[in-house]
Amino acid sequence: MARTMPEATFTFNGAVIPFRDGQSIAAALTEAGQRALRRTAQGQDRGMFCGMGVCQDCLVTVNGTPNKRACMTAAANGLTIATQVAFPALDTAHAAPPVGGARSLSPDVLVIGGGAGGLSAAIAACRAGASVVVLDERKVAGGQYYKQSALKGAPLDTQQAEGATLLAEARDSGAEIIQGVEIWGAFDGLLFLAEHDGAALIARPKTAIVATGAYERPRMVPGWTLPGVMTTGAAQTLWRSYRTLPGQRVAVCGSGPLNVQVGLELANGGAEVALVAEAAPPPFTAPLPALRAALADPALTWKGAGMMVRLRRLGIPLRNRTVLTKVAPEGTALRASFAAADGSRQECTVDALCMNDGFEPQNEILRLLGARMRYDPIFGHLRCERDAILETSISGLFAVGDCAGLGGAPAAACEGRIAGRAAAARLGFGEATDLYAEQRLLRRHRAFQAALWRMYRSTPEAGIEPDSDTLVCRCEEITFAQLRAGLELDPGHVGTLKRATRVGMGRCQGRYCGPVAARLVARETGAEMQDLSYFAPRVPIKPVSISAILAAREALDDID
Amino acid sequence: MTSTDVLIVGGGIVGLVAAIELAGAGMKVKIIDAGINAGSTANAGSLHVQMQSRFMRLYPGQVPNIEASLPLYRAAVEAWVDLDAAHGPFDLVRKGGLMLAESPDQMAFLEQKVQRETARGVRAELLDRAAVDRFAPWLGQQIIGAELCLDEGKLNPLVANVRLRAAADRLGVRIERDWISAITVEGGIVEARGRNFTHHGDRVLIAAAWGAGPLARSHGLDIPTRAEPLHMNITEPCQTRIQHLIQHAERSLTLKQLGTGQIVIGGGWPAEDRGERTVPGVLYGSLLGNVALAAQLIPSIGGIRIIRTWAGMNTTADGASIIGPLPRAGRIVMAVPGDAGYTLGPLVARMAAAEMLGRDPPRDTAPFSPGRFAAQSP
Repeated sequence: MARTMPEATFTFNGAVIPFRDGQSIAAALTEAGQRALRRTAQGQDRGMFCGMGVCQDCLVTVNGTPNKRACMTAAANGLTIATQVAFPALDTAHAAPPVGGARSLSPDVLVIGGGAGGLSAAIAACRAGASVVVLDERKVAGGQYYKQSALKGAPLDTQQAEGATLLAEARDSGAEIIQGVEIWGAFDGLLFLAEHDGAALIARPKTAIVATGAYERPRMVPGWTLPGVMTTGAAQTLWRSYRTLPGQRVAVCGSGPLNVQVGLELANGGAEVALVAEAAPPPFTAPLPALRAALADPALTWKGAGMMVRLRRLGIPLRNRTVLTKVAPEGTALRASFAAADGSRQECTVDALCMNDGFEPQNEILRLLGARMRYDPIFGHLRCERDAILETSISGLFAVGDCAGLGGAPAAACEGRIAGRAAAARLGFGEATDLYAEQRLLRRHRAFQAALWRMYRSTPEAGIEPDSDTLVCRCEEITFAQLRAGLELDPGHVGTLKRATRVGMGRCQGRYCGPVAARLVARETGAEMQDLSYFAPRVPIKPVSISAILAAREALDDID
Repeated sequence: MTSTDVLIVGGGIVGLVAAIELAGAGMKVKIIDAGINAGSTANAGSLHVQMQSRFMRLYPGQVPNIEASLPLYRAAVEAWVDLDAAHGPFDLVRKGGLMLAESPDQMAFLEQKVQRETARGVRAELLDRAAVDRFAPWLGQQIIGAELCLDEGKLNPLVANVRLRAAADRLGVRIERDWISAITVEGGIVEARGRNFTHHGDRVLIAAAWGAGPLARSHGLDIPTRAEPLHMNITEPCQTRIQHLIQHAERSLTLKQLGTGQIVIGGGWPAEDRGERTVPGVLYGSLLGNVALAAQLIPSIGGIRIIRTWAGMNTTADGASIIGPLPRAGRIVMAVPGDAGYTLGPLVARMAAAEMLGRDPPRDTAPFSPGRFAAQSP
């Protein structure tokens, strides 16, 4: 008889890795110092980058099945996990059997995404009397702002506690919240095809509220694809959801308030934060936007100022006008190089480097369904056109929060409440005639956001480094120099560039390289950026296993 | 006389190869390409020779024309092999194509097809399951046999298109973006009116696939070119095991593995036509049906993931290619493959270019003359 209960473990390339119940594979491996998870076709190591199921670079082979995202897959006792090779053998690529049966849903209101916007929408629609289903990708809802813990224990801070309250409120409202749902297909007439624990989930809602949020814009410098380099949000998820530090010594860089916040959170969690590098000048050099932000939302502005003070108290250096220029491996660590506007240079050695250079909306579903978009040159991304009740150009399709263009969590929640009530009212539940107060509040949130981002660098750089060997396309391993050569051959359109260079043809479907390629083509041709400047939206929204497609077909046959 | 010897309408595989031939012979060539809904840029790279069961089922009236064209398909693959040597590599693999049978009826159909094809010089044979297992043991248990056509193959069209485009550039071929809506001939000069500009040349080659029919109409020809938007899928990479081009004796499927390790699945499932100036949409019925069929035939692909779908664009008219000058306007020359345009493209281009250069074409163009579409005079 064993003297003590064996702790939960799995193996990674033969090494025994302990984990805590609820941790993702990526979190457990990070904690064990294992950062290289996938090997590319060119023999390069890759690790967890986005931490939210988007980049497809943390793929591992789990019990013989390749192409599992370590960041989205829960660790389980006894799993045999291995580095994902570039070309997995076909006959090992067997699919795990589905956990449950197929489901078919036709709620009054389908909410896609369980963050601040989606949960608020669900509560509002449910309270009005509509039947509501929320589909969320992760094991626990809350979204990127409210990031809930996947482990047992009390909330980390007020932000997490507020999220827990919102989530409880959503559950109490009667909305059904389904976790771990990967939506891969969206078709006209509002048909959504999804995978849920290996089984099919089909949704034909009467109305849909898309609340899919945003993902982070990286800074593409030499070495940005090295294991250990991750988005700031990925590092935050490691800590907030899994109580795992991305590394003992970290640096954070990019632009925007999230970097400072995560720098503080990691420091409070016990990490040594070597540097927070912010591309923008200090806020006091932009007094007018600072004043406007303070007027629009005094509490949030105060919170922001407080973070700066705490950063200083903890002795974490914040360098403004400073950008990352290069990352290189140094033993098992990373050597990060920074350059400041005054020409000075700085280097530091870290276990993990976190980067956030702004956000890109997750607007794939909206674009697939043909919702009208316009380009926002300030934020350098598409905004979905919506009316006062947040309905898109497609009747019955609403969009709330960052997926429609960056706006922040408070605005997303406000938009959710408006859209939730409006969608319900469309079907005869409630009136939704008294949205005035919410709409006024929304204007205030938007004014705050506009002022806030004037203090940061929200506009992406075109990002070209002529003849540079820096990767643009993580998946297909395409460099800036190759893009340049492709542009010279035929500068016409980003689709032409894609076919000429393979940029954007990989598993992440062009999420990181696509916006850069689109801006490069626009600059080359002098064309204005618009919806058509980007890669054409395509099914599947995320890579989907052939067995999941089979399951969806069977489920649809049963319905039709 | 204009400064352009030959205007080419369409910059797909036919236009590019014709431009390379003509410019290589010293002509000044300008390609005008619409930049949308082109078959070549969305092509999946199958090199077809044997008669496709899908086509035989959908267009039974065109089967005699297809059958008569079989030697052309063989020669077309040879033309690709030539091009690959001159401008490649295009990841061209020529291990043959397998058309699978799941029932005795399908085997009987294939047996008859093999006879018709071998009579036309195609290298085809019927294999039982044991013979198939020697190189494709991964096929589903229900497969009882297959036709193996050794002339067939596959290539990576993305690589081929880029390399041929670069070859045309090196020969000084100009490529402009425009949508040509009408072509007229006056005083020995061809005028091609586009949405952006009017283009002039001494002669014009129409290599515009489904766009060719409308351009020939005002010259007394009624060519029923029709665009078929077809659904396509591609997986993430995996270890290369599938060397052959895979088809089915009765159902719509083509499947192959590219040099990148990715598996391309198509075979003629419809995409949603959204008009000639908008890219086609994806129909979920096609996605589900096409992928399910592939998984049924090769069960071991179940665990890999589809990463992208798109619509290819096939062009059909009467099953046979259309090559040569218009009867009433000799300065206008047609180059439209009859079906499987990417396979036939280089050969059709070379035949049309040879006519324009006054050289002996690689094959007799008489059977493919546009004259057969002359509108009936009342």
